[in-house]
Amino acid sequence: MTPPTILIVEDDPALRTLTARALQENGFAVKLANAAPEMWQALEVGQIDLILLDIMLPGTSGIDLCRQVRQKSAVPIIFISAKGSEVDRVVGLELGADDYLAKPFGTRELVARIRAVLRRGGLEKAPGEREAGILGFEGWTANLPRRELMSPSGAQVELTGAEFDLLVAFLDNAQRVVARERLIELSRARIGDSSDRSIDVLVSRLRRKLSGAGGAAPIVTVRGVGYMLNVPVERR
Amino acid sequence: MIRPSVGLLGRIVAILLLAVTIEFAVSTYLYERASHVSVRDDEARRLAEHLIVARRVLNERPAAERREVAEELTTDRYIVGWSTETPPRPTIAPAMDSMRRQIVDWEPSLAATDIHLRLTSPGRTSVVSGDLRLDDGTLLSFRMREGVRTLDLAFGRVLLALIPAIALMLLSGVLIGRILQPLRMLARAADKLGRGAGGQGAPLIVPERGPGEVRHVTRAFNRMQARIGRLIDERTRALAAVGHDLRTPLARLRLRADAIRDDEVREAIGTDIEEMEAMVSSLLAFLGGEGDVEQPELTDLAILCANLADDAADHGRDVHYVGPDHFDCRLRRFGMKRALTNLVENALHYGERATITLHADPGQDVRIRVEDDGPGIPPESLELVLEPFVRLDTARRRDTVGFGLGLSIVARVVAAEGGELTLANRPAGGLCAEIRLPHCRT
Repeated sequence: MTPPTILIVEDDPALRTLTARALQENGFAVKLANAAPEMWQALEVGQIDLILLDIMLPGTSGIDLCRQVRQKSAVPIIFISAKGSEVDRVVGLELGADDYLAKPFGTRELVARIRAVLRRGGLEKAPGEREAGILGFEGWTANLPRRELMSPSGAQVELTGAEFDLLVAFLDNAQRVVARERLIELSRARIGDSSDRSIDVLVSRLRRKLSGAGGAAPIVTVRGVGYMLNVPVERR
Repeated sequence: MIRPSVGLLGRIVAILLLAVTIEFAVSTYLYERASHVSVRDDEARRLAEHLIVARRVLNERPAAERREVAEELTTDRYIVGWSTETPPRPTIAPAMDSMRRQIVDWEPSLAATDIHLRLTSPGRTSVVSGDLRLDDGTLLSFRMREGVRTLDLAFGRVLLALIPAIALMLLSGVLIGRILQPLRMLARAADKLGRGAGGQGAPLIVPERGPGEVRHVTRAFNRMQARIGRLIDERTRALAAVGHDLRTPLARLRLRADAIRDDEVREAIGTDIEEMEAMVSSLLAFLGGEGDVEQPELTDLAILCANLADDAADHGRDVHYVGPDHFDCRLRRFGMKRALTNLVENALHYGERATITLHADPGQDVRIRVEDDGPGIPPESLELVLEPFVRLDTARRRDTVGFGLGLSIVARVVAAEGGELTLANRPAGGLCAEIRLPHCRT
């Protein structure tokens, strides 16, 4: 099996080299670009599995670049930014980036994020599906690109990354039982949370957040197998 | 260029000139009126002459004819009568001493006749009436047909004189007030400057109006404001750029550190990098250098609070959330999350466990409390710690991460929501930080 190829677009030479080394040590093939022209060249020449894109580049900004790439291909993009703000993150994700990584980042975090995005992109996403990304169920609205959940009353409901991934897994398998093992695998793929919380804790937290006024959350336990979202999901 | 103007002095002089002119005009008019009033002097004279004649005529006639003669003496102006006995003199009717004096002055012979004048009010108008004695002691009575117009002349005159004076004072007050209006606006703007009213650093441009001097001051103020704004902007941008640029070498350092084989050294460097990153983040958050302009949106505040507790618990810390499962509130959620995170981090830095409580009772302000079991803050420093760059443990131990901006950022976020942050020591020990959000009423 050929290793996935990562294109690093970063204007700081030392950081570019260090990132490349870190990725190579973890079994990735790496291509380098210091700005937009080199990036386009690399995209034409060979197969790229993921772009690691610095948001602040000389010339074209990473944000514009991201938009342009999205018009041409569905290659996964992870934004790297020196701005660590949440608003920035949301903007990046909305533009079609698959994840957002703030500087400074460690090797472990970088590799885990790349693997998670590759897994998500490789397994579930058809190119057409990426655009929609807004799912509704029982009055709730999940915005996949922005990774946001809106309650029936229209309020933003804060979910942790792991909880959102869990919700997405349920939404993708609406009205089907999702095995506990599959959910554990999913939560392991998440990074940053170096906690040992069990999948059951995650599910109970998600249930608490999805509980409406008096109504219970639409997630049922299927004894001995796993969990199931027992309401229909509509794609918008 | 500032358009030529009469100037403050010129305007005040103009107002005074106007006042004096009006005063002069009104006074002249009043004197005119006063000479009108002195017609009364005239009237007294006429009455005196009539009385002298009537008295002489009646004195010459025998008693039997006097009544008829008196009737003949009655004219369009005066009613004259004759009687043998003194009519009761009403005590209430005010005596007309000044008019009597005028009469006696004109006809001194009337002084010996025991003349009495009084003001009677048979109907709505007051009428002068009176009597005097003839040589044989009988009584000649008289009454004017026409009523007296003004009763209390002296008071009326004072009032009349006061009206233009008061009007003038009011007019001058309004005019001078109008001239000073731009100055007052300037004062208000100067007062607001730097308090972050109307958005951070948004200049409060005062319109250039009014007299030349005031317009000069206003223009100078506006320019000064713009300069201060530019200065702050430049500094903020510079610091923000430094902050951002620091993150690239920090990222390099982090990746380099990962290559270090010695676990202990690697972890120590990792901690240092984290601390530096925390400092950069707090500085950028404090300066607004991340450049976010977050808009308020409907947010489930209860879940936001619960999340913070879950997150801390996942990292092995003892944090609990107490409150409703859901509570919707319109606010800047990333800012609020940052503020609450700072409070929880503070609580866990000084204490072992923390409790986040959300009070959302109907009809009351929403309150979020973060309580810890740490040592609290000396009462005299409760205000001080909200100031930026203040760290209470500088002297004792320097293990706090950051610049001492945590609580300042909280205070700023809460102020942006129109809320209030209060710190208090709990009776049971530990600190209680309370955020009160008035606009989030249920």
